[in-house]
Amino acid sequence: MPTNSMAQANVIDIKDEQVREDLLRPLFHTSRRFYVLVFLLVAIGLPGIVTFVYQIYTGMGVSGLTRPIFWGFYVTNFVFWIGISHAGTLISAILRLVNATWRRPVTRCAEAITVFALAIGAQYPIIHLGRSWLFFWLVPYPSERGIWPNFRSPLVWDFFAISTYITGSLTFLLLPIIPDWAMVRDRATGLRKRIYTVLAFGWRGTPREWHRLEMAMKIMAVTILPVAVSVHTIVSWDFAMAPVPMWHSTVFGPYFVAGAIFSGIAALIIAMALLRKTLHLEAYLKPSHFSNLGKLLLVMSLLWIYFIFAERLTVWYGNQPAEMAAFWSIQSGRFAILFWTMVTCNFLIPFPILAIKKLRTITGTVIAASTIVVGMWLERFLIVVPPLEHKYLPYDWGRYHPSWVEIMITVGTASGMVLLYVLFAKFVPLISIWELKGGQHTNPVPHQAQPAVAGTQVRLDPTLPAANS
Amino acid sequence: MAHRWGMVIDLDRCTGCEACVAACHAENNIATVDAAQAANGRTMHWIHVERYWEGEFPNVRARFQPVLCQQCDAAPCEPVCPTYASYHNSDGLNAQVYNRCIGTFYCADACPYTARYFNWFNPVWDKPLNLQLNPDVSVRGVGVMEKCTFCIQRITAAEIQAKAENRDVKDGEVKPACVQSCPTAAMVFGDLEDPSSQVSRLAGSMRATTLLAEVGTFPKVIYLERESSHANE
Amino acid sequence: MKRRTFLKLSTVGGAGAALAGCGEQTNQLIRFIPDETLVPGVATWRPGICTLCPAGCGLQVRIMEGDAEVIRNGQAGVVKMGLAKKLEGNPQHPVNHGTLCARGQAGLQVTFNPDRVRHPLKRVGPRGSGKFAEISWDEALQELLTHLSPLASPGSAHSMAFLAGPLRGQRRVLIERFLSAFGAAQFVPFELFDDSVLRAANQLSFGRDQLPTFDLAESNFVMSFGADFLGTWNSPMAQSVAYGIMRRNRPGARGKFVQVESRMSQTGANADEWIPAHPGTEGQLALGIAHIILSEHHRSPEAAGAAGSRIEGWHNGLPEYSPEAVAWKTGVPPQTIMRLAREMAVQTPAVAIVGGAPLAQTNGLFTALAINALNALLGGVGKPGGLQFTPRPPLPGHGSSETNSKGLTGTSVRSLAQHILSGQARTVESLLLYEANPVFATPATWHVKEALESVPFIASLGHFIDETSVLADLILPDHSYLESWMDDVPESGTTAAVVSVAPPAMHPLHNTRAMPDVLLDVAHRLGGRASQALPWKSYEEMLQAALAPLAHSPSSITASSPDDFWTKVKDQGGWWSAKGSAAPERESAAHAVPALKNEEAQFDGPAPGYPFYFLPYASQQFFDGRHANLPWMQELPEVLSTGMWGTWVEINPQTAATLKIEQGDLLEVASRHGSVRAPALLSPGIAPDVVAMPVGQGHVEYGRYASGRGANPIKILAPDVERTTGSLAWAGTRVSVAKAGTGELILLSGGPTKWSQERVRR
Repeated sequence: MPTNSMAQANVIDIKDEQVREDLLRPLFHTSRRFYVLVFLLVAIGLPGIVTFVYQIYTGMGVSGLTRPIFWGFYVTNFVFWIGISHAGTLISAILRLVNATWRRPVTRCAEAITVFALAIGAQYPIIHLGRSWLFFWLVPYPSERGIWPNFRSPLVWDFFAISTYITGSLTFLLLPIIPDWAMVRDRATGLRKRIYTVLAFGWRGTPREWHRLEMAMKIMAVTILPVAVSVHTIVSWDFAMAPVPMWHSTVFGPYFVAGAIFSGIAALIIAMALLRKTLHLEAYLKPSHFSNLGKLLLVMSLLWIYFIFAERLTVWYGNQPAEMAAFWSIQSGRFAILFWTMVTCNFLIPFPILAIKKLRTITGTVIAASTIVVGMWLERFLIVVPPLEHKYLPYDWGRYHPSWVEIMITVGTASGMVLLYVLFAKFVPLISIWELKGGQHTNPVPHQAQPAVAGTQVRLDPTLPAANS
Repeated sequence: MAHRWGMVIDLDRCTGCEACVAACHAENNIATVDAAQAANGRTMHWIHVERYWEGEFPNVRARFQPVLCQQCDAAPCEPVCPTYASYHNSDGLNAQVYNRCIGTFYCADACPYTARYFNWFNPVWDKPLNLQLNPDVSVRGVGVMEKCTFCIQRITAAEIQAKAENRDVKDGEVKPACVQSCPTAAMVFGDLEDPSSQVSRLAGSMRATTLLAEVGTFPKVIYLERESSHANE
Repeated sequence: MKRRTFLKLSTVGGAGAALAGCGEQTNQLIRFIPDETLVPGVATWRPGICTLCPAGCGLQVRIMEGDAEVIRNGQAGVVKMGLAKKLEGNPQHPVNHGTLCARGQAGLQVTFNPDRVRHPLKRVGPRGSGKFAEISWDEALQELLTHLSPLASPGSAHSMAFLAGPLRGQRRVLIERFLSAFGAAQFVPFELFDDSVLRAANQLSFGRDQLPTFDLAESNFVMSFGADFLGTWNSPMAQSVAYGIMRRNRPGARGKFVQVESRMSQTGANADEWIPAHPGTEGQLALGIAHIILSEHHRSPEAAGAAGSRIEGWHNGLPEYSPEAVAWKTGVPPQTIMRLAREMAVQTPAVAIVGGAPLAQTNGLFTALAINALNALLGGVGKPGGLQFTPRPPLPGHGSSETNSKGLTGTSVRSLAQHILSGQARTVESLLLYEANPVFATPATWHVKEALESVPFIASLGHFIDETSVLADLILPDHSYLESWMDDVPESGTTAAVVSVAPPAMHPLHNTRAMPDVLLDVAHRLGGRASQALPWKSYEEMLQAALAPLAHSPSSITASSPDDFWTKVKDQGGWWSAKGSAAPERESAAHAVPALKNEEAQFDGPAPGYPFYFLPYASQQFFDGRHANLPWMQELPEVLSTGMWGTWVEINPQTAATLKIEQGDLLEVASRHGSVRAPALLSPGIAPDVVAMPVGQGHVEYGRYASGRGANPIKILAPDVERTTGSLAWAGTRVSVAKAGTGELILLSGGPTKWSQERVRR
């Protein structure tokens, strides 16, 4: 176990019992605030569902989409949420692989964001269909006429990418929860015990189980990385494969991945700050975590500004008339306000905050992260809409104005995302207890842990790794 | 025998009268939206005459260009459709199977000519306007993308007729509604595979161009440039 | 839930849904036995005649079987019947050669229009309220007779009037004969764009009271003064077919086309050279060109014959029309005038066309005579590539729009209104109304509405309720033109003599009756003079009798018997002679008429307060407004502005910039006589001192698609008329323009108004 000063700063030195007490409290005690919050989120989310039903019933015409702007808020949201989903799995996998110890209290928050953002994001391709009720025709199985989906279509690639990603992320999230659920099982009584007994998959905490879990996590961490990168690359190809001015670009793959990680970290920082505040996790989520993530965010912000500069410069230098129409509408035309707001949100505000050590506090990083989330949504919007407004034939240019339906659904799904997260926090300790403990023991602590011998009925503490790696 | 149906539009003949637009609406059961939806840009003119102004008063010119689905050989709309609603048929047409369409809009994004139209709502024909509907053409419901078909119902009818008479389709036998109605004979339709057809001969004209050739779609609609004998040129 | 319960529930649900489907009225209607045999799915083509504009194109109606909700003998039900599915041009017809314009094709929506009057109506509310009650045909005819029979008695002190669109052929004969039964009956033809100035000029110049036909197919140089001849004017299909040939069908020869107008029309957009001349100066420009041709001795003044004699100073070489003088008046540079004159003189055959706004000025007749003289000078009159006249069919007494031989008074709507309101004329006791909407299409200052409101009894024979027929006390709805026996004698557009005839293409949808049959029935019931004048039982019988003499005239039809002839005429869609031009009757033109002096166009409204010439123009979609109830036309983008579903005010971008007007701003266009509001449309194709508005919208009462939409520019026009002929000078008003808020402009094109074409092509 590396013990440098960096690692020391992140070490959480709290007694095991206290850890369990702190982290399991939300599972056993439900305050009135929780119900109020859930009610509020449902109250915001439900109209979104009603609106969606209205859209299905009436037709896509209730949205602001029109010819030639056939993609608008929904696709923006799709890309945005898929981007946010890169918070967790990717970050957690990278940090796991490089064995950054400070990741321990962070990983599960992050992985949960991934799963829920994906769940929300994956709804958008369906919400946005003209005939949403036939969404399953995208699923790769032959229809009654023996016709498979068109494997040349990036939308089918999307289907594969997202379903793979969501399966992987879910596994990645659930595997390390099992020991924690086992711990809950052991402490709970009544119905709750029965539920967690099922959820804990009979986890006993034998060294073999621990070993397998560790192995599985390592394999998952390695495999999930290319999946995550490919997912957002494929999302970018939804655009880059179409001959639309300013979409048809080679830079889109890495540009989208970078943007996704960027917005993902920002979302993670906000989530962590909220959890820290509401669940009183000050002792676990320390300023150093925010500072570390802030540094990552700084790197991504620089990468993002580099990408947008590279993309814009080549377009401007190339001076293709079709592209220039979209280019100028973003740079100085109708979308200029949005563009410069985006640059401000994604770079001009976060850069100084994140670059100056003094400002890289919890408040500082949260401010930076908040502007970045807004900025990245705008970025997605500016990628989707202005080029469609300015396709090749100027006669056919159009204008997009989002309708209340799209706004309601957008707000509703955002609230759905928060709701899922809040409910998740009710059933799962949002900080991985066993991992935290694993990280806590900077010096090997003698255990009574013995190899489980067949036939012996030794009851081990299921929440402690048998051997610290 | 497989055909390669194509169209030549002579811009030196086109007067912008829009007879083709009305003919297309009548032939293909294209719904009118209404003023509110038209203001939202949701009209469905499978063929429309684009007008481009050039110059300033008094040396001003307007150019007309009828734009319809260009029936590209390398159509960007086809590979992107996840359900094969947009596909290439054996006659080289970009067919659109309404039943398969689930409305991803992807084809419409990919089309550089913006030649695809979406049914934002269920089409409405105030009775008895529904009686004018052409029984040879299906009426599209809400959520489905549609576009110019080169009047595939007329092509099919001619092919069936020719087959019944054990012969090939004659040049000029098939006329889509727009071609049929064009008063100046600006539009010509036929088989580009047949070197002796009128379209093939016109397609070899010095004035022949295709729209947005740089996008690499290889359209089967060929435009003949308007000739200039302007005094100031 | 048990499986059984679930099945039960779903069955109930399904049945409920099925029942809900049955709830629709269609399924409750009884099904009539079809009265025609059609093969399902197989189209038949029947001839027809287009009535949507005065061009008189021949139709081919595609009929297929379908289920229609109809009323037969007062009983609503469903019947399988042949339904018109598409209108195309009749390939054999000498006018349109198988082509049909957008408006003509939208004619389907006349027949199937949901706002058609479906049964006879009697007014129940106050006049103009639009409240009518359904009555039977017997009641309706009885009502009509009670009003008409007193007027038919000899020596009646009261008179009746028949207000109708410009009718031709046997419908015209029928109405003339019908009116002859009444003591004092006036025929009041009305059409907004009636071209009577040009007919009058042609009578003076060439001895033909008729619109000209242009042999553009053979022309090498075409110069049009304001005529939208490819869009809305005269015989647009015939002219478009010829235009296509002129441009590209002759190897090595591509005719040149020059358009003179102050607002670029659809036709003008196709010109090789587009020349904006000041409104009202087109005649002077033509004479400026003639001046050069004469002074450079390309032609001698005598070449123009009688047409030249109509212009003062013609035989002296038109000294007043030096290029400099004309340039000063017209705003066209002298070099351009000289160049055009030389090109016209050399590139023969050359032809000049005049129509539209130049003739709708107070000096319209002079302008028309000037251009006629130029045409005559160029030597193209009656020659290939020039100006010709459609020969009249060899039938007695009809085929032209001339006043009839029966001595009936043809009155203009304006004088009718004046007489009614002043009480000078014998009281108009009853007014019959047919396919004319003067309340919509006349200036408010003509007070047509007020005049009609004071007519004691009005019966409408049309099939829509519009601003005029809403004033009717009784509506006897007509069949649509696809449901009736039709005939027409095209005035222009071909060099063959044509009588178009078409039997009904489909059975009637509603409880309507064809106007001619109603009049025949009424005449029969009136008895006396009326039934003597109209002895036929049906209009078909009348048509057959009238056309019988044609069997002996040379034509494409060779018939063995009168019946055979009639069958062949019906199948072909009419009778037409071989092509050939009727020579202008120059000699018959009265030489005694003094030559006309140059007259300046007078504009209503002083320039300081009303700085803009106001140009209402015939709309590509609605012509004079009669097609505003067709949804296809509402949604057809006007090709230059791309506007749909509304009216707009076209204004030059530079003028707009000076007035700080932006695209879409609501403008108030005010003349001395009223104002209208419409959104601004910045168009580079309009002179800075002109604002233009399309005619056709602004209906108050014309069905669900037209009512309450856009603005009607005709209403604010000055009451001025062309000096000699008395027809409305609709282009002779000046207006002011002011911003009045934000308007809604519905355009198909969302792009910029200006964009280089190089950007679009490779």
